[in-house]
Amino acid sequence: MKDTGCFDYQMTRRRMLQATGASILGMPVARLLAASGQTAAAKAEHVILFWNGGGMSHVDTWDPKPGRPVQGEFSAIDTSADGIQISSIFPNLAKQMHHCALVRSIAGTNGAHGRATYELQTSYNMDPSLIHPGLGSIVVHEKNRLGDLPAFITINGQAAKSGYFGQSCSAYFIGEPGEKDPYLSFPTGITSARGNKRLDLLARMNARATGKTGVTDFKATDTAIKEAVSLMKSPALKVFDLDKEKPDTLARYGDSDFGRGALLARKLVETGVRFVQVNRGGFDTHSNNFPAMENHALEMDPALAALVEDLAATGKLESTLVLVLSEFGRTPRINNNAGRDHHARCFSCLMAGGGVQGGQVIGASDKDAMEPAERPVKPSDIHATVCHALGIDHEKEVYTPQDRPMILVREGAEPVHELFA
Amino acid sequence: MRGVVAIGVACLGAVVAADGATVVDRQLVADNQAREDGRIIPGQPLGDLAYLRKATIDVIGRIPTFPEIEQYQKWPKAKRRELLLDHLFKGKGLADRWTIFYADLLRIRSRAEGGNRLLAYVHQSIEQNRPWDEMARELIAASGSSGNTPSVGFLLSDESDPMTMAGATAQVFLGVRMACAQCHNHPFDKWRQKQFYELASFFGKTKQIESRLSSKTYVTEGEEMKVLWPPERRKPKERFPVVPKFPFPVEDFSVKPDYLKRLEALRAGEALALNKHKESEALDALIDSSGGKKGLGIGVEPVALSVSKESREDIRKLDVKGDLYRKSELRRQLADHVAGPQNRYFARNMVNRVWAELMGRGFYHPIDDYQGEVTHPKTVDYLCDEFVANGYDLAHLIRVVMETDAYAKSTLNADVELEDIDISRSAFASGTKRRMLSEVLYDSVVVAGHLQDHKWPKGANIREVERRVRVPLDTEPEDKIELESEPESGDGKMVPKKPKANPYNLEEVISLDFDQLVKSDLDRDIGMMKAKSDQEIEAERLAEMARKKNSVRRRYTYETVVDKVDDNPKFSSSMRMSTPAPPTHFLRVFGQPSRDGLGEFRDHTPSMRQALMMLNGKATHEAARVGPYEPMHRLLTGKTKNLAKAIELAYLEILTRKPSADELAEAEAVLGQAPLEGMADLRWALLNSHEFRYLP
Repeated sequence: MKDTGCFDYQMTRRRMLQATGASILGMPVARLLAASGQTAAAKAEHVILFWNGGGMSHVDTWDPKPGRPVQGEFSAIDTSADGIQISSIFPNLAKQMHHCALVRSIAGTNGAHGRATYELQTSYNMDPSLIHPGLGSIVVHEKNRLGDLPAFITINGQAAKSGYFGQSCSAYFIGEPGEKDPYLSFPTGITSARGNKRLDLLARMNARATGKTGVTDFKATDTAIKEAVSLMKSPALKVFDLDKEKPDTLARYGDSDFGRGALLARKLVETGVRFVQVNRGGFDTHSNNFPAMENHALEMDPALAALVEDLAATGKLESTLVLVLSEFGRTPRINNNAGRDHHARCFSCLMAGGGVQGGQVIGASDKDAMEPAERPVKPSDIHATVCHALGIDHEKEVYTPQDRPMILVREGAEPVHELFA
Repeated sequence: MRGVVAIGVACLGAVVAADGATVVDRQLVADNQAREDGRIIPGQPLGDLAYLRKATIDVIGRIPTFPEIEQYQKWPKAKRRELLLDHLFKGKGLADRWTIFYADLLRIRSRAEGGNRLLAYVHQSIEQNRPWDEMARELIAASGSSGNTPSVGFLLSDESDPMTMAGATAQVFLGVRMACAQCHNHPFDKWRQKQFYELASFFGKTKQIESRLSSKTYVTEGEEMKVLWPPERRKPKERFPVVPKFPFPVEDFSVKPDYLKRLEALRAGEALALNKHKESEALDALIDSSGGKKGLGIGVEPVALSVSKESREDIRKLDVKGDLYRKSELRRQLADHVAGPQNRYFARNMVNRVWAELMGRGFYHPIDDYQGEVTHPKTVDYLCDEFVANGYDLAHLIRVVMETDAYAKSTLNADVELEDIDISRSAFASGTKRRMLSEVLYDSVVVAGHLQDHKWPKGANIREVERRVRVPLDTEPEDKIELESEPESGDGKMVPKKPKANPYNLEEVISLDFDQLVKSDLDRDIGMMKAKSDQEIEAERLAEMARKKNSVRRRYTYETVVDKVDDNPKFSSSMRMSTPAPPTHFLRVFGQPSRDGLGEFRDHTPSMRQALMMLNGKATHEAARVGPYEPMHRLLTGKTKNLAKAIELAYLEILTRKPSADELAEAEAVLGQAPLEGMADLRWALLNSHEFRYLP
């Protein structure tokens, strides 16, 4: 009875109740129906989140304003999607825009990195009384794990915390894509025969302790060790090895750490990983915004384009939601240091796959990309949208270890249904 | 001299403590009788060795060594535990271990402005046994830069924002979550939004300034009240400065309680001792500012640590001019409200936090959310009275708790009903299983495996290690940036810089020099003038940008090179490294908090990552291997070979107990024909066992 992608370290009483469906009692019938309808429509099984830390300029990426003084140094280029233009620094991605949708009217409220990052990753505002789980933790809490690999993997940086879901729902991290993780095999000099003998001895010792005391933490640790050992021995581990990739493939992804991250992300979802987060920092361009953004695009453009193209070619894009997100946008007005400052009131994100209809733009900003002009989207609506795509009821009630009731995505969040039209 | 006073207090504490613990146990029984919520089954008292292990871990943050076990067993049985505590509380480990406690409490972050100095300040304060109320006063009232006043790091790390500081003050010092009231009147709480604003306005004139001249950030006091009412989001026509008001109810002292008289007597004695030691500057500050409330320590100004006489005069001069570091009268008042004996929240908060740290659960939950009720009111009252009467002495409080029978109880076994286990634990009649803190686990692996020093002769472990290096495909002139002079070769030959640290760097520990960190840099601070012009700074940034741009464009491939290394590592204590560790570090994986926001606690839940780090990590592996320089070696080889003794030593060194007959037989089978390898296997398993990482 595995209803979660989190490592099932503790079958708590609460989890039992949830698993047996007790938590949906008391839900209004209308919502139950709505929820089931949405579930039937859900196509996505995996998510790849590109998290761009620092606040990525929306004008220089997904929401160019040609002819306006705010446009800055880049022009706008036509894309494979009729009538949709993006910034000229994404020439490869422009050819894949018929697979992609843009939301150009995210109306954020937090202008400081810490608070905004927290909100854009968890849907909640920071709360001094508890830590909310990030989007990846929510997804793997609700969707079961497929295969031996962890359900939630983060590359080149950290994902949001798992908060009240505990460590079992936290992300498994990959330092540098393509590098061997020494913790996934026995230490140097320990043959697998000897390593296995050690594990047997340890299992005997721990079984005695667990049996005698009945301490639940012991049982949970036993499970964690079991999970670790099965990962160490899993044939699926070969997916982390990028050395066997054709040089052509590496080149198409841009032959950078970021590109390798994107390539690994693709391979991971193909192997069954539910949620992959690829991190990139350095978007806090208070000065010299344009050379910095150009550099970012040099790595991002080939990587994102190749990823979307490859996923589409194999049909995997239908079940994989790709999301490019940042904590906020940047001021359309260019400051005296040729930079742009924090701008939360209006910014954009890119989505592709997982049932999202490509080649469309949701919402619009005003003429200078200062404020949403049409269909404002709350940050939490993005999280509700991801849940919707995966068939997760974003209003589901869950309990913290202190038995405090919480709902998965902040109250009032609504999926952006037009994306799936 | 503070040190002398501190020792005096500590000795006094030791005498009272023995009685204190007995009273605590009596109060617990009385409180439990009043609760009547089910069958309470007492846990077995811990045996002597289990107590040694638990107490050593809790006071100095690691398991006991074999010589320490031997010493303990030589002490007369009746006095063993007392002598042990005397010994532990005198040692250096106390400050290391309990700095972690304060660092979690105060959310100390090395990367924040003044973070490392705040960490060193806390460490030094514990070493000197400085009273918690005095520390709290300094943390709240400090002005200046972290270079001359390390305690100001508490404000700096939250950018001295009045709203954040109000939330932190309530939660950290008083155990009350008030921050929700920043935005709204809480539906279930008694705290109103206006009260939150009134608390925040104590910080309302505080200014944090980033000096472009000295490239320093410092805290000072301005004229203007920044906290205005009504809140902006209500879009009022006009907003008015808020008048500071402390929202928490205070004790009625119209009849002086006994604990207050004792505190006054203690503080009067301290002042006298200070007098005798002619530290007149420090004393001047103490007496000048304590005004009418002398002897209570109320209004004690921060005494900058190790500041030269001249520098101190410089600070005063600056103050007179109303220049750089203006003191805050508002925050001094707040410090009085928060840390004064009339504020019961302050003592209760610390009592509950220390109790929870040592007993696995507090008298209220979560430990920063006091809602007016505690599970054991008489016990809490007694502990609070004693804490105040003993001059807010943290070490004394820790010791009282550790001397109780409640502390020395085992957990109940699997044959007891779950419900009864739960009730007995919450009654503190049986123990609660606690996992070692991540730092403690790390240090205990190091100690158990004799890794503080090299345990192999030089050159005994030469092996070849494959390493991947990144090689640029197009060699541009900029590639020179990647090269550096090899300092040891002497001929200035350019060799490629090693691109990455060892793959096990997730267990790497680099210690901070706390002593250096608490030294004042005031001279430099005042003397230092403009180092770089704005144009220079700008030019540097452009150059950096250009360099980055070029490096991004470069294509590269990977090649494997083979290094010869002598695998003979030694490990430092993790207790002095910059904190929190990087997110993927051993310490973080085992639950060290990020300390980014309020309301985050150590996460002690197990995870697969933790399992992988212990099963395959460098520290466990090296700790398990038997080096010739450790005592174990001679029991496994040659004439002195004695396998039974060796196995006993392994159990003692790792689990602080002797093996049972069955365990001995099991281990003998493991050692078999290859005792050195077999012992490594046995030790590896013991280090990975539940019994190792969970306290008795």
